[in-house]
Amino acid sequence: MNRSYYWLVLGLSTPAFVWLVPTIWMVSLSFQPNEVLARTTSTTFFGLIPYPFTFDNYAALFSFGQTPMWFMNSLIVATAMTLGVLAVSTTAGYALARLEFPFKRAITLICLVGLMVPEQAVFIPLYTMFADLGWHNSYHAMVLPRMAVPIGVFLMMQFFKAIPNDIEEAARLDGVTWLQIFWHVMLPLARPAMMTLAILTFLYAWNDYLWPLVSAQRPEFFTITLGLASIQSNFAQSEGLGRVMASGVIASLPVVVMFLIFQRYVVKAMTVGGSKG
Amino acid sequence: MSGSAPQKWRMNQTQAAFVLLLPFLATYALFLIYPFFRGIWISLHDWNLMAVAFNPDAKEFVGLHNYERVMWGENITWGAFVNPLVQISGLIGLALSIFLRRTGRVSKVTAIALAIAAVLLVFLPGFHPGEGGRWYDRRFWPTVGNTMMFVGLTVPGVTVSALLLAAALNRETKAMTVFRTLFFLSQILSVTVVTLIWQIMFSPRQGLVANVTEAFGGTPIVWLTDERFAMAAIVITTIWWSLGIAMILFLAGLQDISKDLYEAASLDNATGLRAFWYITLPNLKRTVTLVIVLQVILQFQVFGQAHLMTQGGPNDTTQVLVRYIYQTAFRDSDLGRASAMAVFLFVIMGAFSVLQFVLGREEDR
Repeated sequence: MNRSYYWLVLGLSTPAFVWLVPTIWMVSLSFQPNEVLARTTSTTFFGLIPYPFTFDNYAALFSFGQTPMWFMNSLIVATAMTLGVLAVSTTAGYALARLEFPFKRAITLICLVGLMVPEQAVFIPLYTMFADLGWHNSYHAMVLPRMAVPIGVFLMMQFFKAIPNDIEEAARLDGVTWLQIFWHVMLPLARPAMMTLAILTFLYAWNDYLWPLVSAQRPEFFTITLGLASIQSNFAQSEGLGRVMASGVIASLPVVVMFLIFQRYVVKAMTVGGSKG
Repeated sequence: MSGSAPQKWRMNQTQAAFVLLLPFLATYALFLIYPFFRGIWISLHDWNLMAVAFNPDAKEFVGLHNYERVMWGENITWGAFVNPLVQISGLIGLALSIFLRRTGRVSKVTAIALAIAAVLLVFLPGFHPGEGGRWYDRRFWPTVGNTMMFVGLTVPGVTVSALLLAAALNRETKAMTVFRTLFFLSQILSVTVVTLIWQIMFSPRQGLVANVTEAFGGTPIVWLTDERFAMAAIVITTIWWSLGIAMILFLAGLQDISKDLYEAASLDNATGLRAFWYITLPNLKRTVTLVIVLQVILQFQVFGQAHLMTQGGPNDTTQVLVRYIYQTAFRDSDLGRASAMAVFLFVIMGAFSVLQFVLGREEDR
C-alpha cells in the first residue's frame, strides 16, 4: 500500500459520501418529528443528522395506516413468485439442458425468443385477459405473468449444461429414473444457481411497479412499492413527510438486508438479470 | 447424448422431458405468447376499454388504422434538414461509424448498428406536415423524442461514470469492497423509493438540493416544474439509481485484462491515466458495447421516474413512451391506439435485443 493508494481512498470518499447522501437523508427524515419537518427539513447539518429525534413516525405506521398490510402483500407476492419461478424454471431448464426429446431445438428456440418480449408489450392484453377472467385484485394475478418470463429457464439451462455427464451416468447405471435424477442429483447441485434466480425474482417482485399498478386497483391488494407510490404525491398534506419517509425505509428494508447478507448472489443475480431486471 | 440407449429408455426420457417442461410451457404459452399476439390483434381494432368490457362485440376491426392515427398525419412530406440538430448529429454519427470501422476500432456488428441508427436519425426527422397538414397524434413523435433524449443523456452518463468508478475501484482491498457496496446500494431500491427520495431532494422548499444551494448563496431551482430542468432531474435520478450494474459489469471486464499488460506498459512509463487510455479502454471495448446496449434497452422502458416525479410535465417535456402508452390505455381507454404504440416499442426494443444477442454470441467465440 503506497501513498497514491491512500490518496485514491481519500479521493473516492467524497463521491461515495455524495452517493450515499440521498439514502441517509431519507433515513434521517424518517426519525424527525413531522411538525419540525413541516417548517424545515434542514435542522441539523442539512437534516442529515436526525435531531430532534423521534420514533413516532414508525409507531404511527404500525398503529394505523396501510403500510403493514402492503408490506405483507409484498411478502406474499414475492415469496409465491419466487417459488413459482423456481419450480417452472428448474424443471424446464433441466429438460432443455440434459434430456433428449423430439423437437428439442425448436422448443428451446421458442422458449428463448420470449426473452425479447418486454413487459410493456404485453401488459395491455394481459390486463384485458385477466379482466375477462375477473382475476384482478388478487395475488395470482400479480404472480402468474412473471412465471411466464423465460429468463429463469435460460439461467437454469445454462447451469445444468455445465454439469459433467459422468455424475448423471453413474446414477443411470444404478437404474434411477430421470425424475429421480432431477430431484436427488441435479437439484442439490443446482443450489447456487437457484439461489441467484430466487434473489433475482424476489427483487423483481418486490420492486415491480407497472404490472401491480395496472392489476391492483384496490388498496387492499397494493404491494408496498405500489402503496408507496400512492402516498408520495400527497405527503405534505395528509401523511406528513416523516411518515412517508418511514414508509420508504420500511419498503427498502427487506431488499437492503438481503443485499447486505447475500451480497455476492445479489450482484450476480442483477448482472445476469441485466435488461430483464 | 444417449444415441445408443435402448428404445424403452428413450421413451421414458421423452416422457420425463415433457412432464418437466409442461408447467413452464403452459404458463409461457398462456401468459406471454398468447398476450403478445393478442396485443397485435388489439392494435388492429378500434377497441375502447370500457365499451368492450361491457359488450365484447363493441370492438371493430380497422386494419392498420391505429398505426396511421399514431404515427402518420395529413399531408406529411419529407424534407432535408427539417430538424437540423438531430439530422446533423445523425450525419456525424454516420461519418463516425465509417471512420471507426476503417481504423479498426470497433467490430463490424457495432459499426453496422451505429450506421443504421445514424441513417435513421438523418432520415426519420425529415418527415413533417406540409402546407395545411398536421400529425393525427401531435404528441406521439415528441414523446418518442423525449424518450430518446432521456436515453441519450442517461446511457452516456451511466456508462462514463460507471467506467471511471470501476477503474478506480479495481483493487482487492477492504476499502474498495466497501466503496463498491456503497455505490451499488441505490441499485436495489424500488423505483417508488427512488422517486420518493429524489422528488423531495429536488423540492424547492424542502429539498436538500435547494437547502445546499441556499447555504452557498444561490437561488434554488424549481427542478421538477421548470421546463429547462425537469428532464435533467429525472436523468440525475436515474443515473444515481442504475449505476451499480454497469459498474459491476465493468469490474468483471477489468478482471479479464492481464496484469502483464500493465507491467509492460509501466516500463514505458505508461501508468495512471495513460495506462487507462492505452490499455484499459481498448481491452474493454466489448464490455463497453454490452453495457451500452443493455442500458439502452433498460432506459428505453423508463416509466416510474416520469410518472411519479414530473407526471410527464411540465408541458409534456418529460412525457415518455411507456407513460403515454399507459395513459392512452388506462386513462383514455383507447386500447387500440395504445397497443399500436406498444408494438412500436416492441419493434425498437426487439432490434436492440437482437443486437445484444449477436454481441453475446461474438463474445462466446
